[in-house]
Amino acid sequence: MIVLGISCYYHDGSAAIIRDGEIVAAAQEERFDREKYSPAFPIQAINFCLQQAGVTIYDVDEVAFYEKMYLKFERTIISHLIGWPFTFRNFLDTMPLWLKDRLAVSFAVEDELSFKKPVRYIKHHLSHAASAFLVSPFEEAAIMTVDGVGEYACATWGSGHGTRIDIRQEMHYPHSLGLLYSIFTAFLGFRVFTGEGKVMALAEFGEPDYLDKFRQIIDLRPDGSFRLDTRYFSFNKGETMHNKRFEELFGPPRPPGPDFTDRHYAIAASLQRMTEEIVLTMARHVHEQTGLNKLCLAGGVSLNVTANSRIREEGPFDDLFIQPAAGDAGAALGAASYVYHALSGRPRGPVMHSAALGPEYKDRAIEVLLRNSGARYRRLERDELLAETARRIADNQVVGWFQGRSEFGPRALGNRSILANPANPDMKDHLNRVVKHREPFRPFGASVLRERVGDYFEFDGDSPFMLLVARIRPDKLGSIPAVTHVNHTSRIQTVTPEHNGIYYDLIAEYYRQTGMPMVLNTSFNKKEPIVNTPDEALACFNDSGMDCLVMNQFLVERNDR
Amino acid sequence: MTMPASAESIPVGTLCRRCVLPHAPPDIWLDAEGICNICHNYDREVATAPKDERGLLETDFLKILDKHRGKHEYDCLCMLSGGKDSTAALYYVKERYKLNPLVFTFNHGFVPDEHLESARRTVKKLGVDWIYFHTPFMKDMFRKIVQTKSKVVICPVCSLWYMLKTYEIAAMFDVPIIVSGWTKGQTTGGSRSVLSKCACDQNPDEFRAMSQATREFMDKHVRTDPKYKDFPRNMDEVLKIAKKKYKSKAIVLSPHWFVPGGPEEYVPIIKEKLGWDYPARSYPKKSTNCDLNFLATKRAIRDYGYSVYHIEMANLIRMGLITREEALALLETDFDPAILDDIYSKLGTPSESLA
Ligand SMILES: [Fe+2]
Ligand SMILES: [Zn+2]
Repeated sequence: MIVLGISCYYHDGSAAIIRDGEIVAAAQEERFDREKYSPAFPIQAINFCLQQAGVTIYDVDEVAFYEKMYLKFERTIISHLIGWPFTFRNFLDTMPLWLKDRLAVSFAVEDELSFKKPVRYIKHHLSHAASAFLVSPFEEAAIMTVDGVGEYACATWGSGHGTRIDIRQEMHYPHSLGLLYSIFTAFLGFRVFTGEGKVMALAEFGEPDYLDKFRQIIDLRPDGSFRLDTRYFSFNKGETMHNKRFEELFGPPRPPGPDFTDRHYAIAASLQRMTEEIVLTMARHVHEQTGLNKLCLAGGVSLNVTANSRIREEGPFDDLFIQPAAGDAGAALGAASYVYHALSGRPRGPVMHSAALGPEYKDRAIEVLLRNSGARYRRLERDELLAETARRIADNQVVGWFQGRSEFGPRALGNRSILANPANPDMKDHLNRVVKHREPFRPFGASVLRERVGDYFEFDGDSPFMLLVARIRPDKLGSIPAVTHVNHTSRIQTVTPEHNGIYYDLIAEYYRQTGMPMVLNTSFNKKEPIVNTPDEALACFNDSGMDCLVMNQFLVERNDR
Repeated sequence: MTMPASAESIPVGTLCRRCVLPHAPPDIWLDAEGICNICHNYDREVATAPKDERGLLETDFLKILDKHRGKHEYDCLCMLSGGKDSTAALYYVKERYKLNPLVFTFNHGFVPDEHLESARRTVKKLGVDWIYFHTPFMKDMFRKIVQTKSKVVICPVCSLWYMLKTYEIAAMFDVPIIVSGWTKGQTTGGSRSVLSKCACDQNPDEFRAMSQATREFMDKHVRTDPKYKDFPRNMDEVLKIAKKKYKSKAIVLSPHWFVPGGPEEYVPIIKEKLGWDYPARSYPKKSTNCDLNFLATKRAIRDYGYSVYHIEMANLIRMGLITREEALALLETDFDPAILDDIYSKLGTPSESLA
């Protein structure tokens, strides 16, 4: 049986295909149409998925779509996050608008894909839940989906047993974490959708001095649900979503730009702390209600690494699985696996140990490109390639690293990555200068050998998708400045030979040469979506100050040096 | 773009550093960096393409097929030479897209038995209906090309004839789609415009001199010959006749334009599924073209410095599907000169100097 899953029309359109229980391919449309978070019907991602599976649409048994309730409405909210002219009642009256998107999907699937059978619509939170539970290592687990930043965002929780998923409770708009985060993202002068990660990074620089004020506007209940005190928000009219009373508490909004004061840091820190408290409270409630000891997480808030880590460390669960494509991209995968396993009653498939589900390119394609573009390159044997690459990272070179299949989800995990020396105190600034051009307050992550993670971090276990942070051991503080956050933690990816192949071997070689069991890992891109093809990698390399580029077995040098 | 003065000192025949086309003014010329204007034309087209324009996708192809699927006795007419590209196209149509094709193979008398045998094996294996059309109709035209010492290139003339025949058969059997095995190099680069017209109907710079010679030859030697008085002079006329006389609305498409990759993807498939293999002799290497190509290429290189295969390979290089070194090796004209003598004697003309 073959099931094609699709998500689109909101943001981060994507496609995934499951054949005989196995996730054969999954990819976001942005990697193909090169528009960040492209919401378009993912026609290119679908073509890729089908071709990767060696089939055409005629072989597909079911098409599953993640259903995004109240879609139009959300768009309205988001576009009015700065000016918010609506009432909650009016919203309820206009609800059937979401039907339009359902129709658009049916139309696109039939018209663009020539798929004649009816589309299976899987509820949004169920798609998220399935994207985590059905591909997790757990036969039985509690499930939490806390929806993404800038979304309509119902948080849900429930439990999974085998291939069955029971959603026990939903928490609805407007009392949503995603929306709360977005209101403050806008208030702090960032763009909703893309600015949430920046707010999270900003939070590390402040103390949560505004926590009491947050408690004034948010009534957090023991089950993790909460009410926003609507007296602080201009739900009915006005240019902003907050009102005078809100500004009396938090001060004036920050204008966009590079300048921050302690107040901004403190508000971000308080928001982050509040977020963590909410998900932690919810996790405790879910544990109590389900009596289960494992937890599966998905939904955009699951990209909040600090919140995830607090659930892992302070929460009541023994073990945690987080879907790497936690946002709506992963919902395509979830919808497909829900149809495949839950609705069709087929047994669980292999565990999703790796996010490497995108396109890969053969040596031949890469060599044709390098040769025809006049690149200066060498083909190296594997051992030599690893030794040379490790040597260059140790030598403080910035290395483009392009191997195998691209990653599904927002993180580069060693297949489309830029690698650098984590011990170099200037590396962060250097990277931002030569390629990344990110705000200086945003930290870089580290990929560390799974068996050596305890050497540097107060951490034991797995973080295969870089969705957790770890506290740096006091005796190692200062030894990995390029990946150290202000609060002495690092965002880490644990790397194993089974699931990371040549990337593991590279870091192992780096460890052999330097005694450092990790490298700095950031996504292979500048501002655009992460590179997908060898052409894009070469173009990004040529267009930046990276020192060398490794694609499969080829080591590419700069032409201009 | 017009040729800069700096190009005048470049020796004719100097190869472009990026593709395999030679400096051959006024149509093809190299800039100071040794890159030809055709390469620059290509880059400009890529750079100025609308940002939201994507390449052709397999689902685009299926969309077209599904408009006609099951509405005719045959869903499409597949042109099959027995070579890798047309064999793979037929294989895709039948097995991957699950259509009912009618297959058409023509032979003007210069197609080697080996190629025909390959076509026969393929249609038998796939269990599809096949029309094999063998006629000496073109032989006089080919002889005329050699005897008049015209610079006309054989292949474009021949393609007018076989495309017309193909449309005629499509009309005869009421087939809505003609499927060719044309590669990505035989289009202007995966642009969506190929969907709106026959892809062979193109007049870019690199074909200009050849098209001019074709026009002259047509007017001087073909239209004046009673046997060929209705022969189309160009692809536009082919399309006109197809539409007016045959009442054919068939469109011409190749699956290769819609599926990523090239021969390295589909040759292993047809080898495995159909027992297909490369023929012992054909030009360029690893192709399955008729024997006239040996002659046509030698003449074209003599008259222009490059052949239609140089144009195709140059496209494939620009698209990143083949390296320049690979293309040069395939285009090497180091074949046995006895082949040429054989063709001349078949045509009943004395050999010409092809130095
Ligand atoms: Fe979501
Ligand atoms: Zn050129």
